[in-house]
Amino acid sequence: MIDGLAARVPPPWTAIRAIALNTFREAIRDRILYLLLVFALVLIGSSRVISLMTVGDENKIIKDIGLSAISIFGVLTAVFVGVSLVFKEIERRTIYTLLANPVRRWQFVTGKFFGLLAVLALNVTLMSVALFALLGFRGASPWGLLPAVLMIGIELTIITAVALLFSSVTNPILAAVATAATYVMGHLAWSLQLLKARVDSVAGSAFCDLVYWVVPGFDRLDIKTEAVHGITLPSGFLPLAIAYGLGYAAVVLFVACVLFERRDFS
Amino acid sequence: MRPVASEADSGDAAIAFRGVRKAFRGHLGIGRVVAVDGLDLVVRPGEVFGLLGPNGAGKTTTIKMLTGLVQPDAGKIRLFGKPPSDPAARAAIGFLPENPYFYTYLTAAEFLDFYARLRGLGATARREMVPRMLQRVGLAEKATTPLGKFSKGMVQRLGLAQAIQHDPELVILDEPMSGLDPIGRRDVRDLILELRRAGKTVFFSSHILQDAELICDRVAILDRGRVITSGRLDDLVSSQVSWYEVAIRGALPERLPATVVSRDGGETLLRVDEVESLEALMAAVRASGGQVVSLWPCRETLEDLFLRKLQHPVHDKVRTR
Amino acid sequence: MTLRRLLASLLLLGLVLSTTVTARALDKLDRLRLAEEELLYLPNGRHIKLMSLGHQALFADLFYIWAIQYYSNYERKDRYRYVEHVFGDVIGELDPYYVDPIWLGALILSVEANDLEAGLRLLDRGLTRNPTQWIFPYLAGWELYHRREFERAAVYFGRAASIPGAPPVTRRMRAGMFSKAGLLEDALRQWQEVIDDSASDETSRRVAGLQLRELALKRDLATLRDAVERFRNENARLPRSLEELHRRAYIQQVPLDPNQNPYRLDPRTGEVRSTAGRMLGGE
Repeated sequence: MIDGLAARVPPPWTAIRAIALNTFREAIRDRILYLLLVFALVLIGSSRVISLMTVGDENKIIKDIGLSAISIFGVLTAVFVGVSLVFKEIERRTIYTLLANPVRRWQFVTGKFFGLLAVLALNVTLMSVALFALLGFRGASPWGLLPAVLMIGIELTIITAVALLFSSVTNPILAAVATAATYVMGHLAWSLQLLKARVDSVAGSAFCDLVYWVVPGFDRLDIKTEAVHGITLPSGFLPLAIAYGLGYAAVVLFVACVLFERRDFS
Repeated sequence: MRPVASEADSGDAAIAFRGVRKAFRGHLGIGRVVAVDGLDLVVRPGEVFGLLGPNGAGKTTTIKMLTGLVQPDAGKIRLFGKPPSDPAARAAIGFLPENPYFYTYLTAAEFLDFYARLRGLGATARREMVPRMLQRVGLAEKATTPLGKFSKGMVQRLGLAQAIQHDPELVILDEPMSGLDPIGRRDVRDLILELRRAGKTVFFSSHILQDAELICDRVAILDRGRVITSGRLDDLVSSQVSWYEVAIRGALPERLPATVVSRDGGETLLRVDEVESLEALMAAVRASGGQVVSLWPCRETLEDLFLRKLQHPVHDKVRTR
Repeated sequence: MTLRRLLASLLLLGLVLSTTVTARALDKLDRLRLAEEELLYLPNGRHIKLMSLGHQALFADLFYIWAIQYYSNYERKDRYRYVEHVFGDVIGELDPYYVDPIWLGALILSVEANDLEAGLRLLDRGLTRNPTQWIFPYLAGWELYHRREFERAAVYFGRAASIPGAPPVTRRMRAGMFSKAGLLEDALRQWQEVIDDSASDETSRRVAGLQLRELALKRDLATLRDAVERFRNENARLPRSLEELHRRAYIQQVPLDPNQNPYRLDPRTGEVRSTAGRMLGGE
């Protein structure tokens, strides 16, 4: 009836980018992020003090604390910001005006995802710079830690997608609990294989297998110990790990988009 | 129920609802609450249409279905011939929800810029449009203020700016006057009239009938999910004087060309339907020695119609001219 | 300040004071405290790993630091009960590649707890998991050396020496251990290898040369003395010269000392001497 309506629909990438940028801006200006960042930096700095209490290699302790801090605070940021990401939009009705635009719902979810991912990338970068600087001052070469930082980034990508998924279907508290549970399950997944060996029934065994494959296998991606000790990774590890992590996150994101598509906002 | 405007071809309509139903799950998942029950509605291009009704009538649900936020259980909805699920349909509309908040940390300019991007406006167009829009709604000085610091009235104005910034053919407003002071309400009314002058279609919902009466071309009154009355405003409520109310003191003449409305001590309130009877009444009162205290010309307002229809829900429709 | 505000401040101050005072009084009370040793039994590192959610190396670090503080406290009773468990099963399982706890734990066990075998077990485990860490068998060798178990020490030094990156002293220690254990042939072979190996450094070669001479001296003297003894037992008299021993086939040849001088046999006492021996300071 009206000419040229289809031409006014923005291409997918434009919409996703606009929403991602918006999400990034909104999250960055939320002060809770500064708090987490400060905590992390304080922890990394105080690792120098903690290392004074050890006998032997002090830098090893600094590296361990640094990597764990980056990982933990990254996860905390992903959960705190991620679970309220969609909920806040619904509660504040910003989503009403947003979805009344010529954007598709999956573009909204994907834009939110990339926005949060950008925030996390910034945080991880800042914390890594602080850690590397500290190690550099002490004369230790930090570059061996880069693959570990990359893997932490991949782990955070998965957690972000999971937080977003739960955020689109329930309130922040439940979403936080569910995401935390997924995080814990993901780190315990390796023990399911041990459990399976002790379980007699076929159903129990199948259940163990199912959970093992469905839950994100974070232990597959954890190379902190190898990076700190300078142990060579098996060849082909990095590309495979990146493919697994991104693939898993993509699946979760896809499910989030599907669940979001049919949802009524009453 | 007969369709609203049988002569209006829904292919040309700006908005068309056909047999739309929506029910939600009740409290704690028990039972079903019917929000919209068999809705038929047509809005023609270029008119200002008011969706009226008490709270809980289903106005907001109707608007949410119109903008694609809620899926109907049954029936068809079309915006300029396309369903709301089609992004191209949403490219032609601008929407302001009821009681909006906006992103706390964005500035007004960033906010408008963001929405402009979502509507496919290029960088040059955005750069020119954003300051102009802010000027238009009187928020030019607040361009760099974070939205968290905005008052309710300012938020509403910004919301309007967002709804019209891309010059949409159809503007949808859910309770646009709610919470505004009289000046704010007047500004909104002026804006709507300005949009109509520009040839746009405006569809808004309200439970403040006086505002609707001032600006609507056509209205529909919704109650419990159904349209109980709809049609051109002029047809529903005449702007002519319908009857007179006369208060007299003293003895009543015997044969009154009027009906008694009430008695209060020495004063009697009478209702006279025809101007001609008025003359006769005045003469009779003078003759019997009474006094005419006051005389009011009255007409049925939309509110009167509204209350009347709600008390006696008859699903009828006034024939259009 | 208004009266109300003053009263409110006083009230707050009073509450804070009373809380502090009661807290200190509680501390002074003589209460039942669990002996800390009973808290010490930690689960195996594999189980703690479950709780660590991917941060097991960090947990290993923290346990290590804690263990250092704990084992530095000399007043504790029964300090050494769980050393091997803490360093081997807890820290060792959490981070098998963590080198410091292994050698520190082994030293605590060997030196302070006087439990050499436990220390060696720890070091063996460490080496199994970290085949490139020559420090483990090296330390083991030294501990065994201090306890004069030279043969076992030699084995450990040999292991250490075969790992690339081990310092040259390791090979020297190995050869020296054979020597101390009285295994002269093995020692000689080892020192000869050091000289033959083109990768050996100057110090090692020099030491090897000296040792070869000394060992050759020792060996020859031992052989000659043994031959003299046998001659006397069989012939009821001492031999008159080394050549006679050689002629009568008690020795296969008449050796020269490391300085290429002949050995001297004193026919009256049966003693065998060498001028080189005096120079080296040994007999």
